[in-house]
Amino acid sequence: MASTDAGHRQLITDHSPLTTGVLPLFGQQNLSTRRILLAWLLVTPVVLWRLLTFYISFFDNSPVRRTFDFVGLDNYIALTRDSNVDATLTFTLFFTVTSVILQVVFGLAIAELLNQRFRMRNLTRAVNLLPWAMAPIVIATAARWIFHQDYGLINDIIWRLSGERPLWLVNFTTARFAVTITDVWKNTAFLSVIFLSGLQGIPLELYEAAKIDGADGVRSYWYVTLPLLMPLIISMIIFTAIFRVLSFEIVYALTNGGPGTATSLLSYLVYLEGFRVLNFGYASAIAMLLFFIVLLVGVLGYGFLRRAWERL
Amino acid sequence: MNTQLDFKRGIRTTLFILVVILFLTVVLLPIYYIFLTAFAPSGKLFTVPLTYVPRSLAVERFQDIFGALPIARYMLNSTMLATLSTVLALTVSLLAAYAIARLDFPGANLVMVGLLASSMLPGTATVIPLFQMYQSLNLMDTLLGLLILYGSALLPITTWVLVSFLRQVPVEIEDAAKVDGASFFPLLWRIVLPVIRPGIATMFLINFIIGWNEFFTPLIFARGAGVKVITMALSEAQVIGARSEFDVSWGNMSAVAILTTIPVFIITLIFQRQIVEGITSGVFK
Repeated sequence: MASTDAGHRQLITDHSPLTTGVLPLFGQQNLSTRRILLAWLLVTPVVLWRLLTFYISFFDNSPVRRTFDFVGLDNYIALTRDSNVDATLTFTLFFTVTSVILQVVFGLAIAELLNQRFRMRNLTRAVNLLPWAMAPIVIATAARWIFHQDYGLINDIIWRLSGERPLWLVNFTTARFAVTITDVWKNTAFLSVIFLSGLQGIPLELYEAAKIDGADGVRSYWYVTLPLLMPLIISMIIFTAIFRVLSFEIVYALTNGGPGTATSLLSYLVYLEGFRVLNFGYASAIAMLLFFIVLLVGVLGYGFLRRAWERL
Repeated sequence: MNTQLDFKRGIRTTLFILVVILFLTVVLLPIYYIFLTAFAPSGKLFTVPLTYVPRSLAVERFQDIFGALPIARYMLNSTMLATLSTVLALTVSLLAAYAIARLDFPGANLVMVGLLASSMLPGTATVIPLFQMYQSLNLMDTLLGLLILYGSALLPITTWVLVSFLRQVPVEIEDAAKVDGASFFPLLWRIVLPVIRPGIATMFLINFIIGWNEFFTPLIFARGAGVKVITMALSEAQVIGARSEFDVSWGNMSAVAILTTIPVFIITLIFQRQIVEGITSGVFK
């Protein structure tokens, strides 16, 4: 295919905004000791807070019971036995995977749509940004009304089409989808704006070359557009996944983590343990779990990103 | 032959228009529904099936929430926090961004990575030590305390974007000014600032929106009515005049939602291009 032609690849790596992205920063090699020391000095304030959280996680620390007793690993042992933590991790996995897949697919589709020429394109682009601009807490609270069984917008449409009124926030599965759908509605705009910018960075000559090779719309998208966007898509998957794991407002206002613990997320659990139960030690242990999951997503994602980059 | 081709093209155009309409509906219909709920006259709120074109609108919800809650105070607090934290973040970030983009000191890239990493680990991972520290420093329930938290949350992304804007601007103008003997701060103020004004304006808009929309930070650190912000009024409005736990006023909630959303919609619709540039320059370049 034309996209693997060496000359064109050169063109891309030199001028496309795709290649001048976040990646070169990670490509650092042969760091001198001084540089590493300086880096640590600068990163210390960021790390320090995690160290404090880490420290508190070894204590039975509650402002209600007025305790600050060292308990070793007790909080972490409790973590492994807590069924709320299990339920939270299950939903975190479901929510992150489903939401990221939907956001990337819709984000690419909307970017393609907004890249076409048509009347009112600017207005459509502005409308696309509206959910991005709205406060997460507004959307999460309003979504509770929109998913209302009897008077909500969603059930009105479903009822007109099928005569059914599903109990969105009462059933485990539908509650999980309600949270995911709301999240996708709010956040896809962000991805689509970035993908649109990525599309605009692809040189037109590549499409012309693909056309000469006989590739039509779908095939030139598959063989030219997607491979070139791939590093961007992967880095956006990492960003989006991390922010899904950290989500708070959406379950705080839409479901309160319910029914039961079906839609509980780790940030919400930290909030409950820390500021409702006032169990700072245990909440810190949960926060550390959250920290390590985010770290894991980041490190794994970076591995994929590097490989995708080498392939381009 | 020709008519067949025209026919095919006609179908494609129609399909495309349908897709655009579907997209606009998915985005706008939920927003319109909240608008309807906020302005529905009492008694017209719970109808089956829904009436999408109302016969009359009422402002009684807005009278209710302004009567029961210090909405003006909340909105003032939101405005102050969003504006001041934006100014704070821009000032600090501009200095850092200038150093990173122009002074080429060792580790500049690592600072950028550190900033990125810290922006990825916000809120909950550090909230407990912060909460305890704020209590011992008497920063709880103070605008200053909130301002520090808001500002520091905005710093990483702001620095990233300003660096990318600075790198697009040629250094020659600054060099010429240096030859003419301009010292650091006048140089920054008279030469650098005007050149990257678009970048500053963009980040001002985006940071204002982020600050205005903030909820988790005030939920934990602002508990007195004097420092509460507009996003916290959503749940308070729901229970105005409630007789039980299950008696939720969706009309009042929607009215607060409209009040919270109008300012950010105005900004977004007017400055669409600048905002998109800000979002993308944080990722590219």
